[in-house]
Amino acid sequence: MSITESQLREQYGNASDEELLFLARQGSSQYTDTAWALLREEMTRRGLPPTPEAQRSESSEEPRADAPVALPLARWGEVPDSGIPERCEKSSDEDLPALAESETSPLTRHVASARFTGRGGEYFRIWVVNLLVTLLTLGLYSAWAKVRKAKYFRQNTWLDGHVFGYHGNPVAILRGRLLALVLLAAYTWAFQFSNRAGLLTVTTLCAVGPWLFIRAQRFALANTSFRGLRFGFRARAGEAYGTVLPVLALWLLPEVTETLTSGKGWFSIPALVLGLAFPWMHHRLKAFQRRNAVYGGRQFTFTSATGHFYAVYIKGFGLVLVAGVVAGVVIAWFSAWMRESPTVRSWFLETLIYGTIAGLLVYVVAGPYYAARLQQIVWSRTRLGDIRFRTEIQALPLFRLVLKNVALTVLTCGLYWPWAAVALARYRVECVRVESDVPLSALAASLETHPGSAAGEGAADAFGIDIGL
Amino acid sequence: MSTPTFPAFRFDGRHAEALPVVLRIENAYVVVETAEGIELERERLDRAVVSEPLDHAPRLLSLPSGATLEVPDADRGFRRELERAGGRLSLAVRLQGWWLAVVIALAALVALLAAAYFKGLPAAARWVAFALPPRLEARMGDQLLAVLDKHYVRPSRLDPVRRRRISERFSRAAAAVAPGVAYRLEFRTVGENGVNALALPGGIIILLDGLVEFAGDEDGVLGVLGHELGHVVHKHSAREILQSVGVGVLASLLWGDFSGMAASVPVALGVLRYSRDSEREADEFAVAFLRAQGLSARPLYEFFIKVRALESRLGVADIPDFLSTHPSTEERLERLRREIR
Repeated sequence: MSITESQLREQYGNASDEELLFLARQGSSQYTDTAWALLREEMTRRGLPPTPEAQRSESSEEPRADAPVALPLARWGEVPDSGIPERCEKSSDEDLPALAESETSPLTRHVASARFTGRGGEYFRIWVVNLLVTLLTLGLYSAWAKVRKAKYFRQNTWLDGHVFGYHGNPVAILRGRLLALVLLAAYTWAFQFSNRAGLLTVTTLCAVGPWLFIRAQRFALANTSFRGLRFGFRARAGEAYGTVLPVLALWLLPEVTETLTSGKGWFSIPALVLGLAFPWMHHRLKAFQRRNAVYGGRQFTFTSATGHFYAVYIKGFGLVLVAGVVAGVVIAWFSAWMRESPTVRSWFLETLIYGTIAGLLVYVVAGPYYAARLQQIVWSRTRLGDIRFRTEIQALPLFRLVLKNVALTVLTCGLYWPWAAVALARYRVECVRVESDVPLSALAASLETHPGSAAGEGAADAFGIDIGL
Repeated sequence: MSTPTFPAFRFDGRHAEALPVVLRIENAYVVVETAEGIELERERLDRAVVSEPLDHAPRLLSLPSGATLEVPDADRGFRRELERAGGRLSLAVRLQGWWLAVVIALAALVALLAAAYFKGLPAAARWVAFALPPRLEARMGDQLLAVLDKHYVRPSRLDPVRRRRISERFSRAAAAVAPGVAYRLEFRTVGENGVNALALPGGIIILLDGLVEFAGDEDGVLGVLGHELGHVVHKHSAREILQSVGVGVLASLLWGDFSGMAASVPVALGVLRYSRDSEREADEFAVAFLRAQGLSARPLYEFFIKVRALESRLGVADIPDFLSTHPSTEERLERLRREIR
């Protein structure tokens, strides 16, 4: 697991003087005794000045802005504490003071946990202004609103003393959204015109879908930065078609066959195939997303876990059934009077209401289990070189949070929404742990990403593809 | 007084290493120096992209050189310095930094949403519904009917002679009141003789056996069919579908990303309101329809008296008005009673 003493000696030996000085400035508390001794040994060998340990005491005053050559380290080590209870529950051995973001295990195994410093009250103000301007501009401002929202959430996400950044171009996002709108409208209405128009649209969707998917990934990642470096997405078009096309075809199949056969018995077979293949499809897209992501010239890796995905989906299905029973009771009560009252003529409306009830129950009851378990699986199988990830997210705390969010959002006619979004982001972000053999701050790499056209960015939004990293 | 300096981190854009630096603003230039006093950057402030100020996040400065500066600004000293150097904040940022403006913005937002919901969307849906190609609307109706046939309704078991009589009376009346309106009467049955009639897009009117038997009197059935023809004439089905799409778009604007599910609650509640308005319009049409046949609104009135009896027998009269897709029977009775006179 952790690296040996000789490997460490070699690493320090290969490092430049500047890098060694930088490492030393992190302070001895960031290292095991052995690692610290090896570092000092290497520095002495090169005749570098012994660096005094950086101050890490919580009580130390922040350096005055006008103090001569004040190094910001003490100030930087300190991530403002959010002071809000809904944070990720930590196991006791990780219960470190907020200041020390890293933990050392046997030989220089560093664990950094992410922090989120967004506040509901602050985001509420951004949300209100964003919405007002969006409505006044008949939706055109939504692209700018999206950028401001993304910046708020990224810039309040801290890892190892630094924040993430977002650089999406609103005009590109607006273009992407218009394209997505056209495609969505075409897909929704084409079969109403004629089967030929419908098939033409489905074919077009299959042809451009995988391309849009990689553009969306690329845009989202290339516009996210950390420590001055952009993330990237490196998939080749051929590979994307091989991966995404089967998923897209399976997804569209039930709808298309139902429309073409006028729903005479054929519907169930493609739908069954879709249901059985769904965990496989979800895993395939997740793996594709992770494996092609790059940061600092290194590619992320992902160990396949199709079996685990199936296990989660099968177990979670029990919860869906529970939600279904509850929804059934509510709907039965609801339909008792709707069916019998003579002038209700809109079945469309009934379906919509029942769908909402059932959907909301599934979201609250089964959603947290799926989200927590799948995130655990995905993070624990993702790596970036020697860096490993995991998440402490748990289904039960997430369930409590989602229940509270939904209840308060409904009770306040939606006004609680910004607080709900912040609470959810805080829980998810603060559960993430990043493990590495050397401190994250010691990793340096080269950059080679360019933000692409955003054709796919908005498209992914409108089709609801989850592109969260 | 010397220029204030600010501790920061500099990233060169090619390496992940964070270099502790000292930053100051000098004659509208950003000057970045290492701890040892070596100058690394000197760039005009207006050529740097500066992030919005946030309460608990550092400011990010992107320089044309590709370098990024992360400036912690817990005491807002850097913010003040930027303002002194002429850095302008966008209108949105200034608005949201001021609570009174936020409250005013919230009030404006609620007013705007209300206007969109009560006036804008119905008008837009009405315009689109009447501009929709008839072929498209007919196809929507056929598809809905196919879904109903598959999942909900079964073929009618009503006596064919009775069916033909109802059809003929209805087609005569429809030709007189609304000539040129395309409609199609379909007989179906549901569950244990469900009492219902409904209008789908494209002029499809479904009449359930249960309603014919429940009404007893054929003039009452004609009144209900007149009501459904009112829905057809006003294109209520298509308008409702379009309106619910509009409400869905609004809801996803407001609560998007949170969850598609959560966003659909207001959609379900939102479209209910439109239906009640439609029912009122259709009732008005039904009265005119019956009058044109030399009938008064009485058959429809009597039909609703029976409905009220059914409702109280089933104990469903207590459903709050806002959850109901039709105006409460009492309200309808009141309006029809006025029409009889």
